[in-house]
Amino acid sequence: MCSIGEDDFGDTGGLHAMTAGGPVQIATGGTGECQKCGQHSDDLFKVNFRSEECRDCFLNYARHKFRAALGAAKALPRDSDVLLLLDGSIESIVLLDMLHYAQTQNTFKRLHCQAKVLYLDESVVQEQQSLDIDRLQKLQDRYTPFDLFVIELGTDLSNLRPLKNYTPKTSREESDLKIKLDKLRTLSARQDYLQQQRKRFLASVAHQLNCTHVFVPSISKDLATQFLTSIALGRGGSAALDVALCDDRLDHDIKLLRPLKDLNEQEVQLYVRARNLEDLKLGPSLATYGQEKGETASLQNLTAAFVRNLQENYAATVSTVFRTGNKIAPNRHVDQDMCQQCQSPLDSLLSDTLLAIEYSRVVSLEGSKLSNHNNDLEQLSMQRLNKDDRLCHACRNVQDEYL
Amino acid sequence: MPVYCKSQCGNRAVLRRPKTGDALCKECFFAAFEAEIHHTISSNQLFQPGQKIAVAASGGKDSTVLAHVLKLLNEKHNYGLDLVLLSIDEGISGYRDDSLETVKQNRDDYQMSLKILSYEELYGWTMDRIVAQIGRSNNCTFCGVFRRQALDRGAKLLQVDSIATGHNADDIAETVLMNILRGDTARLRRCTDIRTGGGEDSIPRVKPLKYSYEKDIVMYAHYKKLVYFSTECVFAPNAYRGHARAFLKDLEKVRPSVIMDIIYSGEQLRFKDTVKKPVRGTCSRCGFVSSQQPCKACVLLEGLNRGLPKLGIGKKSKGDRMIAEQNRELDLRERANLVKNDF
Repeated sequence: MCSIGEDDFGDTGGLHAMTAGGPVQIATGGTGECQKCGQHSDDLFKVNFRSEECRDCFLNYARHKFRAALGAAKALPRDSDVLLLLDGSIESIVLLDMLHYAQTQNTFKRLHCQAKVLYLDESVVQEQQSLDIDRLQKLQDRYTPFDLFVIELGTDLSNLRPLKNYTPKTSREESDLKIKLDKLRTLSARQDYLQQQRKRFLASVAHQLNCTHVFVPSISKDLATQFLTSIALGRGGSAALDVALCDDRLDHDIKLLRPLKDLNEQEVQLYVRARNLEDLKLGPSLATYGQEKGETASLQNLTAAFVRNLQENYAATVSTVFRTGNKIAPNRHVDQDMCQQCQSPLDSLLSDTLLAIEYSRVVSLEGSKLSNHNNDLEQLSMQRLNKDDRLCHACRNVQDEYL
Repeated sequence: MPVYCKSQCGNRAVLRRPKTGDALCKECFFAAFEAEIHHTISSNQLFQPGQKIAVAASGGKDSTVLAHVLKLLNEKHNYGLDLVLLSIDEGISGYRDDSLETVKQNRDDYQMSLKILSYEELYGWTMDRIVAQIGRSNNCTFCGVFRRQALDRGAKLLQVDSIATGHNADDIAETVLMNILRGDTARLRRCTDIRTGGGEDSIPRVKPLKYSYEKDIVMYAHYKKLVYFSTECVFAPNAYRGHARAFLKDLEKVRPSVIMDIIYSGEQLRFKDTVKKPVRGTCSRCGFVSSQQPCKACVLLEGLNRGLPKLGIGKKSKGDRMIAEQNRELDLRERANLVKNDF
C-alpha cells in the first residue's frame, strides 16, 4: 500500500517541507547605505534574510555568532587553555581570525583564554603536498602572540614541535595508523576509524600542551553532514555529541568545542572577504580523507555529496537537518560503560534491532533445519550480541571489517 | 564457482541476503525469512491469542507477503489469531480498482474475509474527484490523511484488536531520514516504534515486517510465486520521498546493513527536554486519534466541502483566514437576500 501520509510518514508530505531554493548566491558587494548603522559604505555585505550592511556591522554580526555560541552555553570557563585546530580549511582560518580578534580586544568583550594553535599534518595517512612552512609562518606572524605547534597525525607525542623547530620529514615510514587503516576492508570503515582516532589524538596533544579545550572549525553544513553520517553509521545514540557545541567524550577530560557551529557557508565566505583572509591551501582538511575515491566510495562520501546537493537545490533543508541535530541529546546514563574505541555509551544490550540482526545470522546458519528450538536460537543470538568486547555497535561494524 | 547455501544443506544458493550477507538456497531462505518474522512477533509480543487482527492490504508486495506469512505462522505456531483483510478504496481509476482485484485474489487464496472501505462512502469524495478539484500538487496529502483515518474507521467497524501494516525495514529507515530532513521531531520519536497507538481510544498498529528488507520481501514473493500488484499510483509517479529514498538506496549499495543501522540510530535518538512533545488526543469532531484540533482529515474534508480545497494545506492561520473570508462573503450574501426579501 502506498504509505504516503501514513501515520508516521507525515501529513503534509516531505516534498512540501523541502522547498527548492536554488544555490546560495554570494553577493559581490555594492555601494549604498548600511541598513544597520545608516553609514554610507562602498562595500556592502548581504547575508540571506538580513538587509545589506557595511563591513563593520557584518563583522560584528558574524563575530557575535562565535561569541554567543561559547557564551550562551557557558562552555568555556574564564582563563581556560584552548588548543585551536588548524586543519588547512578556510573555516579554520576564520576561526583563528575570530579567536584572535576576541583575544586582542581591550574592551569588556574580550574572550579570556590562553590559546595555542595546532597544525595537524596528515600526510601520514593521505597523499598531500609537502608542508609549506612559509605559509604557516605567515599565519604565525599575522596572529601573534599565538604559538603554533605542528605534529604528524598518529605519531608519538614527543614529535610535537613549535613551528620554528619543525622540519618536515623527507622520508615517509609507515605509521601504525596507516597500517591499521589499510587493513580495513572498506573506505566507510577507514573513514570512521580515522575520525575516532583523530579525535583521540587531538585530545592527547591537547593534554600534552596543558589545554583543557579544543576548538574545531566545523560550520553548520559540516555538522548537518556529520549528523546524517552518524545516523547512517548506527551512531544515533551518540550523534548528539557529534554535532553539539561541546563533545565531552575525549580522554583526559578534554572538551571539544565547535564555536563556528552556527555559521553557514555564505557567512564564512563573506567573512573571508570582509577580513581579506587568504586560503593558505595548507593541505587537505580533516574531512577530506578518501574523498578522491568518489561520491559512491563510502557512506561518508555519499552523505557529503547528498548534503552538497541539498545545499545547491534545497538550502533550507540543510539548516533544518542541522537544527534537528541541535534538538537531540546523547542517550547515556550515569554509570554506563563506555565504548573503548569512541567513548560513546555501550548501548547494544537492550536493542531489539541488533538482536534481530544477530537472529538473522543464526537462522541463516540453521536454514531449513530450523525446528522449534527457537529459544536456543534466541539465546545464541543474545550471546553474540553480548560478547564482551566493550565496543559500541558502530565500532563493532568497523571491527568486523578487519581483513 | 557455484556458491553454496550458508546452512550447509548442500544446495546451491539462489540469493545473498542484504541484512547479513549470507548466501542461501530457496528453502533455507523461506525458513529463515519466516523464522525472523515469527521472532519479531513473539519477542515484541505483537499479538495475543484470540485476538482479531486486520491486515492492511493494498495488493502490493509488502501487504501480500504480510498476509501470506501471518496466515502461515498463525497456523504453524498456533497464534490463535482471527485474521481479516482490510482494504481502502481511494477511488483512483486505473490503479486502485486493479489492485483491489489482487486483494480479492488474496482473499480467495488465503481464505480470509475482506472488508473494502471506500473514500466515497466515508467522505463522499473519490481521489479522482479530489484531484479534479485541487490538481496534482498536494493530492497525496489528502490521500494519506484520509487513508490513515479510513484504516482506523475500518478497524473499528470490524472490531479488531490491532492493525498489521506492511511497513518494511527500508520504509522505516527512509522515514527516519525523511523526518530528519523535515525536522519533524514528533514523528522522529515514534517512527521506529514497532507498535504505535493503542491508547484508550485508539486501535494499535503493528509492523511485523519491521526487520524485513524490501529485497527479501520481493525475493520471497517471487520464489513463492505470490500474486501482487506492482504498478505505481497514477497520481504519485516517483516524485514523493524521492530524495530520501534515492539517498537510502545509494547508501544500501555501499553497505547493505545500513538500513538496520539507520533504524537502530533512530531508536537510539533522545531529545532535549526543551523539545516539544506531541500530545495525542482525539478529534472533537470525528472522535478519531489526532494530535490536532480538529484533526487533519476533518479540516481537509471541510475544505473540500466548502470549495476551499487548500484549507488544510499550509499554515493553520492561513486556513482560518480563508474560512473567515468565506463566512464574511456568505454573511453579506445572506444579508443581501434578506434585503431583497423585505421588498
